[in-house]
Amino acid sequence: MSATAPVAASAGGRPPALAARRITKRFPGGVIANEAVDLDVAAGEIHALLGENGAGKSTLSNCFTGLYRPDEGTIALHGEPVEFHSPRDAIEAGIGMVHQHFRLVEPFTVAENVLLGGHGRIRRSEAEARVAELGERYGLEVDPSARIWQLSVGQQQRVEIIKALSREARLLILDEPTAVLTPQESESLFEVLRRMTAEGRSVVFISHKLDEVRAVADRVTVLRDGRSEGTHPVAGTASRDLARLMVGRDIDLGSDPVPRAQAPADDVVLRVDGLRADGDRGEAALDGVSLEVRAREVLGVCGVSGNGQRELAEVIAGMRPRTAGTVEVAGTELTGADPRKAVAAGLAHVPEDRLHTGLSPSLSIEDNLALTAYRRPPLSSGPFLRRSRFRTRAVDLMERYDVRAPGPATPTRVLSGGNVQKVLLAREFSSDPKVLVAASPTRGLDVGAIETVRTLLAEAADRGVGVLLLSEDLDEILSLSDRIAVIYEGRILAVVDRADADVEELGLLMGGDTSHLTGDAA
Amino acid sequence: MIAAAVWLTGLLAQVTPEAAGPVESLAPGHGVNDNLFVIIAISAIFYGTPLLLAALGEMLTERSGILNLGVEGMMLMGAVAAAWTSIHGSGPGWLVVLEALLAAMVVGGLTALLHAVLVITFRVEQIVSGLAITILAGAAGLSSYLASTWDVASGPVPHRLDLLDVGGLADTPVVGPLLFHQNVLTYSSWVLVGALWWYLFRTRSGLHLRAVGESPATADAMGIDVNRCRYVHTVVGGTLAGLGGAFFPLAIIPLWSDGVTGGRGWIALALVIFGFWRPELILVGAYLFGAFSSLSLTLQARNVQVPTQLLDSLPYLMTIIVLVFVSTGWARRRVGAPAALGTAYEREAR
Amino acid sequence: MIRLERRVDQPGWLKAAVPVGSVLAALLAGGLLLTFTGHDALETYQLLLERGFTSQGAFTATLVAATPLLFTGLCAAVAFRMRVFNIGGEGQLIMGAIGASAAGLALGDGPLAVTVIAMVLAGAACGAVWAAIAGALRAWANTNEIITTLMLNYVAANLATYLVFGSKSYWRKLDGTGAMFPQGRPLAAGAHWPSVDFGNFTVGFGFFLGTAIAVGLFVLFRSTRFGFQVKVIGDEPRAARYAGMHTKRTIFGLMALSGAVAGIGGASDVGDTRYILDPKALQQAGYGYAGIVVAALARLNPIAVVFVAILMGGLANAGRALQGPDFPAGLVGTLQGLLLVFTLAGELFARYRVRRVATEHADPAAPVEPAPAAVTA
Repeated sequence: MSATAPVAASAGGRPPALAARRITKRFPGGVIANEAVDLDVAAGEIHALLGENGAGKSTLSNCFTGLYRPDEGTIALHGEPVEFHSPRDAIEAGIGMVHQHFRLVEPFTVAENVLLGGHGRIRRSEAEARVAELGERYGLEVDPSARIWQLSVGQQQRVEIIKALSREARLLILDEPTAVLTPQESESLFEVLRRMTAEGRSVVFISHKLDEVRAVADRVTVLRDGRSEGTHPVAGTASRDLARLMVGRDIDLGSDPVPRAQAPADDVVLRVDGLRADGDRGEAALDGVSLEVRAREVLGVCGVSGNGQRELAEVIAGMRPRTAGTVEVAGTELTGADPRKAVAAGLAHVPEDRLHTGLSPSLSIEDNLALTAYRRPPLSSGPFLRRSRFRTRAVDLMERYDVRAPGPATPTRVLSGGNVQKVLLAREFSSDPKVLVAASPTRGLDVGAIETVRTLLAEAADRGVGVLLLSEDLDEILSLSDRIAVIYEGRILAVVDRADADVEELGLLMGGDTSHLTGDAA
Repeated sequence: MIAAAVWLTGLLAQVTPEAAGPVESLAPGHGVNDNLFVIIAISAIFYGTPLLLAALGEMLTERSGILNLGVEGMMLMGAVAAAWTSIHGSGPGWLVVLEALLAAMVVGGLTALLHAVLVITFRVEQIVSGLAITILAGAAGLSSYLASTWDVASGPVPHRLDLLDVGGLADTPVVGPLLFHQNVLTYSSWVLVGALWWYLFRTRSGLHLRAVGESPATADAMGIDVNRCRYVHTVVGGTLAGLGGAFFPLAIIPLWSDGVTGGRGWIALALVIFGFWRPELILVGAYLFGAFSSLSLTLQARNVQVPTQLLDSLPYLMTIIVLVFVSTGWARRRVGAPAALGTAYEREAR
Repeated sequence: MIRLERRVDQPGWLKAAVPVGSVLAALLAGGLLLTFTGHDALETYQLLLERGFTSQGAFTATLVAATPLLFTGLCAAVAFRMRVFNIGGEGQLIMGAIGASAAGLALGDGPLAVTVIAMVLAGAACGAVWAAIAGALRAWANTNEIITTLMLNYVAANLATYLVFGSKSYWRKLDGTGAMFPQGRPLAAGAHWPSVDFGNFTVGFGFFLGTAIAVGLFVLFRSTRFGFQVKVIGDEPRAARYAGMHTKRTIFGLMALSGAVAGIGGASDVGDTRYILDPKALQQAGYGYAGIVVAALARLNPIAVVFVAILMGGLANAGRALQGPDFPAGLVGTLQGLLLVFTLAGELFARYRVRRVATEHADPAAPVEPAPAAVTA
């Protein structure tokens, strides 16, 4: 370590738990994910890292945990400069992280996951006891001998936190932790974080949601386009100002309804009745789902991820066989699990896994735009493809939907999330569908792309399409839906009109709590 | 598979013990130890040993997430190295044999190192790399080239693995010739099965290994060195494959021929799947296939009229049948391959 | 330190430079090996070139050696494109030889055109069926095709051996010398496949057929719906499922196609070259495995397979012509393996950029810069 002067002390006289200066990280292709970012996190503080998707929050935290090496900049912990060559260094320095996509080994038990990365002989009972003890101390109860794939998402997150705590993490970084939680579970999480900071540990809370930041953080640092827009105390700063720093202009990204030109019609374009289906592991994923979507209507289905949304979309689209029930698209009953028949009946499907299910990532944009229509004229005649038509169609669609890319021959995997989604929507809308099933359409997109996608969906509804919107983002559901349904453990618990929707009640339902429902619930 | 076993048993039941054949020289005692089943069991263990060694090695490699299709090539390289050392070594017999085994291990390990470098550092497709190494080192490649350059086929290999008689118990009924009258490599393989079981399921290194094979991203985030783990276990896997290959010139066939392993390396690959990546199950599978391998010799000795080529094909057909069964949904849902098997790992992949 | 960065695009010069560089590196490594084992590297290479291409009658012999490699190379290229690893070219070629020689023996006295067509069809059918077994197991029973095709190679070899050496079957010559030494029954002279004489060299019918098939496959993959499906399934099976493609049927069909091509290679071996079913020679030649090398070096492009097959054929031909106490067996296989290994390794430089990176350090004592915009409370 070099003999530089200790870092300037923050208010309180102690050096900050984490002091980062001029962190810069570049990726091949000219992408600058972080540019000269400064950050100070005090001991015992919950410090929020606020920014829209793509602003560089995850990249920055990966630099702190040793997964990425910053191209420039320094990091100091409690006044001592540190350099991380690998995640092990960061862990030993006392930094723990809960990633957005959990780093857990599914076939292992909770205790085994907590044991990973340590030293010495393993004693199973000792490990399990420690998990139980930590769980109790911080309110993170979970069964130490359960296997990860048996746990719910919320429980898996607890395991992640316990992992970090068992390594004596003094600084815990959480990346979008509430994305997979109900509002009530989020509250519990905030409690846990407060208990931790009361002991003198620090928390970095990464989020793109203003209201959450307000609810839990002491100070907030705003990131935009890879640069820091300064650190501000949460208490003394208006949300409007934070939002403006986040995006660079005045926006309203809340849950206010997107204006619509037309009211929903009467004719039903999608009817699903008593659907049952199995998930990938043979468990029952759908347990009798019945829904109706009308033309010009957006039916939003909200729920915590993992309650059957993906399976529901796949069954309707014909990607997954059902064990019971019927699916009817625009009056045509779909018998087997055949996506082509669904498309022929008028269905369009934007899956939640954009890059690997909705698209073939190494293939060009023009090939992907033809993915569902390549079998018919004008894209093919007989068994042969008409490649010139592929090209003209791609050029036309890319222009209409403003897809930013070097050209139609660009492989889709290099596109940004927003452009990927535009390609998908362009393709799906081009078949002039009667029904659109959209799963988590704005997850992970930056604000501009979110606005575009929401507008496209609303316009589609106005044109006459019946939209089935599946999302974990309650704000998104509230802003787009005419009616709202809640899915929990493969069943629809309630369907309400947007006007009657109450966030707290929806939150309870998402968590499976139906105690407040009186009488009719569908 | 059950049907095949029943048919086989019926076939054997028609045969009465007759004059001693080559395989029976393994059984020193008389009476019950002349029983056909004992004889088959002995040869199952004998011919199953190289399979066991190679499969255990491959199991370690695959547990780290690396698929090594070069096992056949590594076995052949080990075989030629062992044969050369045995021919050119000097000193007491046991020392030469030991040197031959070590040479086989080193050569097998080096060949595996090539695969590891290609696959981990050069990010080559694992399947293609393994095939390339088999072609490079295989029956028409380097092992054959070295064998002819070094004149390994000029005569029988002089120093070979002898059968040991442990504690004079070789005459015990049934168990005697099976357990107490084997060569040192077979005994080592038994110890290895136990040791690897302990390693995988009771030590921290084994836990880390399994984590790397299931989810390298998780292992990396927990501070485990994924690449080093993969390198180590791939090289160790090749070492064991080389050892398995050495068994051929040192115990099975003293005279060298190109491709002497006859595809056993591929069967070892199937064994790993058959054994669900667990050492104890691989042991069972190896001896099962060992029994089939030796069947043609045994039946010939009994003058049973079944075409040689059909018997020769049996191990291969059995492999297919077993593999089909193991790959069904029922089996795979219970115990599966390491989730990250065959995929490369890049920490900063976007 | 050295860092590997994924390239976003590949400059044109690189696409040519990498294979060339790899070949040179392989030749260098081979040369070192030769020198290390007591042979003269330059002289060996010169001899290889001479006996493979330039000397009298060499090119004809090279084309003869290249023809089966062309077929097994196409067989592997077809399947590998969709990440279905058909290692069974060896066995599928043998089965094709069995079927074709049966057809040729049965129809040998009729018109040549009929015989040739029958042999080609029989070879294709047998090869297709053999591969389809593994294809069906992969498509519907999820069984690893690498191991199943491999095992079937050994079974096919045993079957061929049985037919000629282990039994008195239709394929076996029973009279004359055949009564003492087991051998295959030769085709009637009228059933030998035609060839075209170009003065300096002769090209057999099989080679023309193979080239035509290569062109056909090229068109199939680039311009048909089936080819599009293969592209998608090979890249991302989930997306193929999403688009409603019949993945299982495509896998099955592709394997059958792949086997058919190898089977025609077997028919060519009987009709063009050997005129009998020769199990020993077929096994020793190892056409199937060499075909995989050809396919990999040709980057799975059918047209490129033709040229690489000629190259490999030259190597094999020269190796055979030179074989003797001075010129070791296994050298050809080793060189092939080296070529493959270096080409694979060389791909790294096509896909990644190698950079040396130095990290800069900022002064940790510097205060945090003030926020750029004034924010009112």
